[in-house]
Amino acid sequence: MASLAAHRERLRLQSLNDNTESDLFQRRRLHNEENPNPEGFKSTNMSLANGVCYRCNEGFTPQEQIVNSNGEIWHTQCFVCAQCFQPFQDGVFMRKHIHVNPFVEVINKIGIFDGRKYCEHDFHMLFAPCCGKCREFIIGRVIKAMNSNWHPDCFRCELCTAPLADAGFVKNAGRALCKECNNKERAKGMGKYVCHKCHAIIEDGHIKFKGEAYHPYHFNCTSCGNELDANGREKGGELFCLRCHDKMGIPICGACRRPIEERVVHALGKAWHVEHFVCAKCERPFFGTRHYEKKGLAYCETHYHQLFGNICFVCNNVVQGDVFSAFNKAWCVSHFCCSICDRKMSQKTKFFEFDLKPVCRVCHEKFPGELKKRLKKYHDDLAKKGQS
Amino acid sequence: MAAKAKKFIEECKDTKNNELEIVDKGINTLEIPGLYDLKHLTRLTMPHNKITVVPDVISELVNLEHLNLFNNHIKELSTSISSLMKLKLLNLGMNKLSVLPRGFGAFPVLEVLDITYNNLNEKSLPGNFFCLNTLRALYMGDNDFENMPEEIGKLKNIQIMVLRDNDLTSLPKEIGEMPRLRELHVQGNRLTVLPPEIGHLDLVGSKQVFRGENNPWVTPIAEQYQLGVSHVFDYIRSDTYRYLYGRHIAADAAPPPKTADKSKKISRST
Repeated sequence: MASLAAHRERLRLQSLNDNTESDLFQRRRLHNEENPNPEGFKSTNMSLANGVCYRCNEGFTPQEQIVNSNGEIWHTQCFVCAQCFQPFQDGVFMRKHIHVNPFVEVINKIGIFDGRKYCEHDFHMLFAPCCGKCREFIIGRVIKAMNSNWHPDCFRCELCTAPLADAGFVKNAGRALCKECNNKERAKGMGKYVCHKCHAIIEDGHIKFKGEAYHPYHFNCTSCGNELDANGREKGGELFCLRCHDKMGIPICGACRRPIEERVVHALGKAWHVEHFVCAKCERPFFGTRHYEKKGLAYCETHYHQLFGNICFVCNNVVQGDVFSAFNKAWCVSHFCCSICDRKMSQKTKFFEFDLKPVCRVCHEKFPGELKKRLKKYHDDLAKKGQS
Repeated sequence: MAAKAKKFIEECKDTKNNELEIVDKGINTLEIPGLYDLKHLTRLTMPHNKITVVPDVISELVNLEHLNLFNNHIKELSTSISSLMKLKLLNLGMNKLSVLPRGFGAFPVLEVLDITYNNLNEKSLPGNFFCLNTLRALYMGDNDFENMPEEIGKLKNIQIMVLRDNDLTSLPKEIGEMPRLRELHVQGNRLTVLPPEIGHLDLVGSKQVFRGENNPWVTPIAEQYQLGVSHVFDYIRSDTYRYLYGRHIAADAAPPPKTADKSKKISRST
């Protein structure tokens, strides 16, 4: 019995060694201590001497060391890894639990599968999943996807390498992609933009903001607050609707009401496209030549004078400098003459009216009496009528 | 007389002045020696003389722009006058013209034509007279026109038209097609009605002139005329007037008789 007791003590040393640091062993030891089963222990003791090795079914010699593992007894040389036939280091083996991923919790370092025990190395070799990317064993959390197993950190978007383990993924042409890259890929295939905000494909018009494409409806006009449509424009790092954009800074042509991108003419309190700032009469652009304003309209020199009366009656040209005006007509100073003798007249020269033309006193004197009489009567009648 | 003229011509030749004025010197001919050597002349002013004929040789003054022969005794104009290619202003007023020469309408740049106080009527005008479409002023007062040819509407650039003191019994409706007309003188004629088309013209503004006194206007026009020119134009634009005018034309009444005594006109004397 003494030898038996010694043998058990050795067994304990060998199989229930605290050095294994196995929680389960510790728990199991505590469990055994809390629930002693003397009868069972005795029977075990009884069976130990008569028992056979769990592996080779041979008996034990009395001096022989016996390995007891969970009620199974083994020759020391039989208690080896089912794969490499090497003894377990420190007496630990791995055990594979069915139904539960055995690698979430390392129970101990001897693996058991179908009742067979393996050393840690071979157990991993035979049964641990292998990462589809780094080809290393996966201990802990396994991602099963794309017909393969992955370390959570190895399962990434094939395009942007964003981790997919928690974000989820989309299968795209045999590739695991993040939702964003998948949308981009799809959009690329259809020639469409992907919204930089919601990552959905932009079916209709997009707007560009800071170099990225967006659904217009994610934004409102900085100025009027209305939701933008595809006509929205970026200006100074802010987005505006077309209406507000056109109103700001960029001048609007007073003729065509469109924004002026190139040269601007400022006149009549408005801005104009160079080619749209035209004479109100002939509609020819001024192209920088002088224009004349009247009642909010602009005219070229010719038409201003034609319409507003400063064309010389004699030379039919625009009067430069001072103007002589009489009888609804205008004259250049040098062209104001008696209409009969062509003698020059000054402001002080007295003249008569004849068919609304000026006639000097000398020429008027030469008119036949009957004409003078008629003209006098006519003017007298007019004067009378004017008085009445 | 010719000696006097010669002095002016010599002077003009020496000073190279391109304007020649011989006013009231009793000159009776344009065939003055040396005158046609003055090729550079742009203006020839000879009013109040006694010239009776404008000769063929006038066309040699090729640079002439301004020819003034007011108050002479001209009865005859050379057809060559219309070959003055640069002539802009031609004053033949107060002469004794009873006909204008064939081809007179050929001036290419004539702007102002004054034939006031002659003995002209619609039969005096050559066929091409209304080809003068560069004209901006046409002075034909104190003549003997009884009707104005409808071709007058071809003078699209006319701004001033004086038909004062003629014998006009009607105006052609084509006057309404002269878009730039701003002065129309028809006083002292025998007009009773105005064609409604004249209502197309703008002759009532402060810059425009319509003179229509001394005509035997039908009563409604006369009444409106008493109120002012603008009333006349408002009236002739009305449907009422259109109707009345239609009736008037259909009635085809005899025109009012001539009342003006023209026997004392100096253009009549021989």
